[in-house]
Amino acid sequence: MKIVILALKNLTRNRLRSILTILGVAAGMFLYASVQTMQHSLSRATKTSAADTTLVVYRKNRFCPSTSRLPEHYLSTIESMPGVRQVIPIQIAVNNCGASLDVITFRGVPPETLKKYNPNIKVIAGSYDDFVKRSDGALVGQHFANRRGLSPGDKFEAVGVNVTVAGIISSSSPQDENVAYVHLPFLQQASRVGLGVVTQFNVKVESADQLQPIAQQIDETFKADQQPTNTRPEKAFFAETAKQMIELIGFTRWLGLGAVFAVLGLVANAVLLIVRGRVKENAIFQTLGFSRLAIGFMVITEGFLLGLIGGLIGVIGATSFFHFKSFTLGNEGLTLAISPSASVTLSGIGMAIALGVLSSLYPAWKATSRPLVQSLNT
Amino acid sequence: MSPLISIESVTKTFSKGNTTIKPLVDLSLDVPRGEFLSLMGPSGSGKTTLLNLIAGIDSPTSGEILIDGRDIAHLSRTELTKWRSVHVGYIFQLYHLVPILSAYENIELPLLLGKLSKAERKEKILAALNLVGLGDRADHRPSELSGGQEQRVAIARAIVHDPDLLVADEPTGDLDRESADSILTLLNTLATKHAKTIVMVTHDPKASAAAHRTLQLEKGRLVEESRTPLSSLS
Repeated sequence: MKIVILALKNLTRNRLRSILTILGVAAGMFLYASVQTMQHSLSRATKTSAADTTLVVYRKNRFCPSTSRLPEHYLSTIESMPGVRQVIPIQIAVNNCGASLDVITFRGVPPETLKKYNPNIKVIAGSYDDFVKRSDGALVGQHFANRRGLSPGDKFEAVGVNVTVAGIISSSSPQDENVAYVHLPFLQQASRVGLGVVTQFNVKVESADQLQPIAQQIDETFKADQQPTNTRPEKAFFAETAKQMIELIGFTRWLGLGAVFAVLGLVANAVLLIVRGRVKENAIFQTLGFSRLAIGFMVITEGFLLGLIGGLIGVIGATSFFHFKSFTLGNEGLTLAISPSASVTLSGIGMAIALGVLSSLYPAWKATSRPLVQSLNT
Repeated sequence: MSPLISIESVTKTFSKGNTTIKPLVDLSLDVPRGEFLSLMGPSGSGKTTLLNLIAGIDSPTSGEILIDGRDIAHLSRTELTKWRSVHVGYIFQLYHLVPILSAYENIELPLLLGKLSKAERKEKILAALNLVGLGDRADHRPSELSGGQEQRVAIARAIVHDPDLLVADEPTGDLDRESADSILTLLNTLATKHAKTIVMVTHDPKASAAAHRTLQLEKGRLVEESRTPLSSLS
């Protein structure tokens, strides 16, 4: 503890250098935490787990929601298949089919079925009844609402669709957080696809091991139909549909790695300069009886503190940034909410500390390996 | 009574390029407990090398250095560090106080290595500060002290853990006459009244006159010994 206090005091000697180093670490760790937040959000959206039991039935060989048109009457056929728990027809309208940072997605669903199909949805402002009663009512995901500054009672227009916000919803599913749910017939008419036509069906099956057999059964059933289907698990559907977006986010991994090396170099340089400026003083400490281990520990503690302080600023800065800005990446009607997570925050701070310690190992060795008499004579 | 320092046939050599340098050659010396010994000689005579060997900062090439009966010549670097932290107080020419620490905190440094409580440390630090006459300067940083006061703080740091042996490398070399005299009086008091054994390197004959005994070194060998009369010491 005494050594830690000494190390902390040492950092205040050259305040400007310490502040600049901490700012550099903070900038690097901000970038690293941002990249990790994107990677983590993507992983949550695309990795299938045993708890995932949803299939998406899409028009075969179609990619954008505006080109996927399926007859609504498929609903009863799919519902009657063994192993199928629930089915919901969805009409989707988006303002931009390509990759976008501000995608607006309307999901037209039968209002009486939505809550039953998706009990995870919680109305955090406004009311579900208002949504059911108003034919132009919309339940808006909280990310969407934050981004657009919407609250219950507000009217807004996008993609030629005018709606009134009936409620703000939260959900454990990232997709629900970024869309506006509206009445299916209303959207079918407003988006001019016509009644009886939907973009997709979301199908819940009894268990994860039934995903593949039921997907095959659905596609087999409509194979000879005028509108053949392509059925995939929801997260696999996301991974395939948003492939470009995923590749783009995958590339950011290199930026994160670059940030890590930048922080490593920055702290190593700063600590090395500190050590070089204190060759004689370290020798005096050793003359007073401080062991080489204690001197090395003091140097490493300085690196640790630079990493910790810079890491806290950078990582908490990135967490706050994504929390308040509610960024959403969209592609082909699917949205990826870039949401901060506790695990990314903690691992980011841990990484900053590890980098601080790692980068001060060589300076610590330099500070203690020189013969004492030689250091005293510098 | 056995001497505190007993040096037997010590030689120190080191290489500089292709040349072998011998700063000390077959040197033997005894220093009794409580003696204030001054080492004088021209540059390169080996006095600082001898001081460093006595302080356990360096090790001899051959020979024995017994301090209070323990041969420190063959201790490892780690063992020497541990030994120094208990038995030696070092006073530097340029004081070498840590600029960001107050006088109190500088003096506290050697005590941080032990297991004393905060209250015990405080008691020792205040006693050391009072002994060097700086009881009212505890919170001052080195930059707020004069050269003489800084050296007093450095002496307090050297004695705070109550070592038997004090080594001083030109302790008055950077001070004006008045400050130098008061430092020498303080060192003399530490030897005479507090039974500290002091070995001091100096170029200054006046400083040397404050010691009980003066040894002249030349080319790594002792060439002359003189004792200061008791009357002039008082």
